[in-house]
Amino acid sequence: MVGVTHYLVLSAAVFAIGVFGILTRRNALLFLMSVELMLNAANINLVAFSLHYGNLSGQVFALFVMALAAAEVAIGLGIILVLDRNFGGIDVTVPTTMRR
Amino acid sequence: MTGAFDFAPAIALLPLAAFAVALFGGNYLPKRGALAGITALVGSLVLSIWALVTVAGGETYDADLYTFVAGQDTLSLHLGILIDPLSALMLVIVSLIALLVFVFSLGYMNDEDETGLPRYYAELSLFSFSMLAFVFADNLLMAFMFFELVGLCSYLLIGFWFREAGPSSAAKKAFLVTRFGDYFFLVGTVGIFATFGTGMFAGSESFPHMAEQALAGEHSVRTFLGLGEQAWFTVLGLLVLGGVIGKSAQFPLHTWLPDAMEGPTPVSALIHAATMVAAGVYLVARMYGFYLLSPTALGVIALVGGFTALFAASMALVKQELKQVLAYSTISQYGYMMLALGGGGYVAAVFHLTTHAIFKALLFLGAGSVIIAMHHNENMWDMGGLKDKMPVTYYAFLSGSLALAGIFPFAGFWSKDEVLYETLIHGFGGSPLLLAGYAMGLLAVAFTGFYTFRMVFLTFHGEPRTADAEDPHGVRWNVKLPLAVLGILAAVAGVINLAPVEKVTGIHLTFLHDWLDMAPDSFGTAVHHYTGDHGLMHEFAGYTAAHPLGETGTVLVGAAISLGLALAGAGLAYRLYAVPSPTEHTDKLGSLKTLLMNNYYQDEYQVWLARDVTLPLSRAADTFDQSVIDGVVNATSSVSLFAGERVRRIQTGLVTHYATLITLSLVALLVVFGYLGGWF
Repeated sequence: MVGVTHYLVLSAAVFAIGVFGILTRRNALLFLMSVELMLNAANINLVAFSLHYGNLSGQVFALFVMALAAAEVAIGLGIILVLDRNFGGIDVTVPTTMRR
Repeated sequence: MTGAFDFAPAIALLPLAAFAVALFGGNYLPKRGALAGITALVGSLVLSIWALVTVAGGETYDADLYTFVAGQDTLSLHLGILIDPLSALMLVIVSLIALLVFVFSLGYMNDEDETGLPRYYAELSLFSFSMLAFVFADNLLMAFMFFELVGLCSYLLIGFWFREAGPSSAAKKAFLVTRFGDYFFLVGTVGIFATFGTGMFAGSESFPHMAEQALAGEHSVRTFLGLGEQAWFTVLGLLVLGGVIGKSAQFPLHTWLPDAMEGPTPVSALIHAATMVAAGVYLVARMYGFYLLSPTALGVIALVGGFTALFAASMALVKQELKQVLAYSTISQYGYMMLALGGGGYVAAVFHLTTHAIFKALLFLGAGSVIIAMHHNENMWDMGGLKDKMPVTYYAFLSGSLALAGIFPFAGFWSKDEVLYETLIHGFGGSPLLLAGYAMGLLAVAFTGFYTFRMVFLTFHGEPRTADAEDPHGVRWNVKLPLAVLGILAAVAGVINLAPVEKVTGIHLTFLHDWLDMAPDSFGTAVHHYTGDHGLMHEFAGYTAAHPLGETGTVLVGAAISLGLALAGAGLAYRLYAVPSPTEHTDKLGSLKTLLMNNYYQDEYQVWLARDVTLPLSRAADTFDQSVIDGVVNATSSVSLFAGERVRRIQTGLVTHYATLITLSLVALLVVFGYLGGWF
């Protein structure tokens, strides 16, 4: 039987992969994907608990999170485009002008 | 129907209008604004007399003019007019003296081709306005406002010749010293408003009345500092008295007044006779019902007054300038009024205020006339023999001097005698403190007789001692007319209250007493309310009258002693100075003379107080502020600056690093929460 614990382990694993991606990758597109992974890890949690408790609210929230993730991607892609235009690439270690 | 009271505001507003006219149009007017002032003061005088006559008909007036803060269920602040016998009398005195000073100024200022005359007349008008409004003020706050305006005007007028060093520094001194007293007055005013919720002088809603009820236990008021009602009222009375001591030049705040002689002489006459200095004593008389509730405050008033009378008179003994002698005599005479008020002699104080206003204005204007004649030399040792050259001035001045010295039957004799008599009988009636005041006042009588006649003999008698005295500059009608009017008044004004004669002969002659007694009962300002058989003086102040030699005997002996001392002083002056070529006898006093010439080192003492006590104190406070207070503030900011400088180093600008920090912080937070939450 697949219980809520299994879903939580899966979700934690996906979240950890996302964090790892953010901390190690230099490509901005991979950054964005890692963020998506983390968001969806949270989604898995929401859906799992919704199932566990027999309450649909969690699933509704998961839908909302997906919509938000779509919006976030739109903005993130915009930022990446500007990054490419201003710094000639999408390596996130190159722009350090925010320092001062 | 319109009566005198409908025009009451105009009594003060006419001089205000003259102020505006003289200030803005003075240069284009024939007498540089003098005529505007004279017209306005004639109007004020006529209206004041009309008000006086109406009051004599038994009517009084108490009305609000303008409310500038209307409070709901709390105090409201307003300007109002109170016309009762006391203020009606004072209005007439002030407007009469001010009018005569204006006329005299034509001779003293215009004929001498002074510059800046529009300014002079504008300030003089503003001065009259302030004083008249102060006199009819119906509440303490309004009185305070105009008290301050009077102080401002005196500053402006004393410093009229501001291009010279003396007048401008004298003006500053007058302003600062009186301000020092006014500070206490302001605190006292706030205290009275906080305690009673009103500053009204008269009526059932007035603060003296409420205080009386509070002491009788019919009504309770809020007191502060944990004091009982009696003690708190004493504190309030003494605070207001601070302003009175400053303005009326009582010890120890008298030092500004002799310096104020730097101003033009007509201004001195106005300041010392009817306005600025009188304001203090008038204020005590105005709220006398409040002071009577506090025996302590009365005792302080009596002692300060008696001491000032003696102290100032002793300094007047050795002065060489004519106006200096008069200045110290003013301080001394106001000391008598304070003595009378403190000694339960309300009528006596108002009586002396009235007669003194007349004879001191006369003496100052007479001195002004002499100064014109002497080409602005004020040293009495350069005069002499002016008697034959300026007879009008001489006889008027003599009349004023006799009144000042208290020689029978001139005005000053009656009033000064009544002051001393009231103090004496209340002193014997169980208040030995007053006897000390009486003794000082009595000694001052002899001094007064001496310095007054020393001044007369040196100025007018003997041989002329300089070329200017040989051939004095003539004076015109505009100088002689005010002198003549005041000279006659100084001789006869005593008839308004011949209390000793009444006591001896039984004929009713105390008109001033009756007059002041006419205030309606609802005002609570009538004499019988203050000093009658069931008045406040017996109920609260604990004063009773006792006549050690029977009533007639005490009157006669008291009068004889004071007259005898005055004559003794005058006689000594006659022996020493009424010779063709008088010499200085003051050297015989030895070191005492040095002490007196230096005014008991009061100025030095106050300078020492300011420079060697207050200044180091303020320096220490400044150091404390700069080092400790500012130090704490600066330390706080430097900690933030330093911390910011350090924390700034983790800002690398690399997004990855930020993400790492966030992640690590999150983990750290989880660990902390977990640890605190007992997960491990």
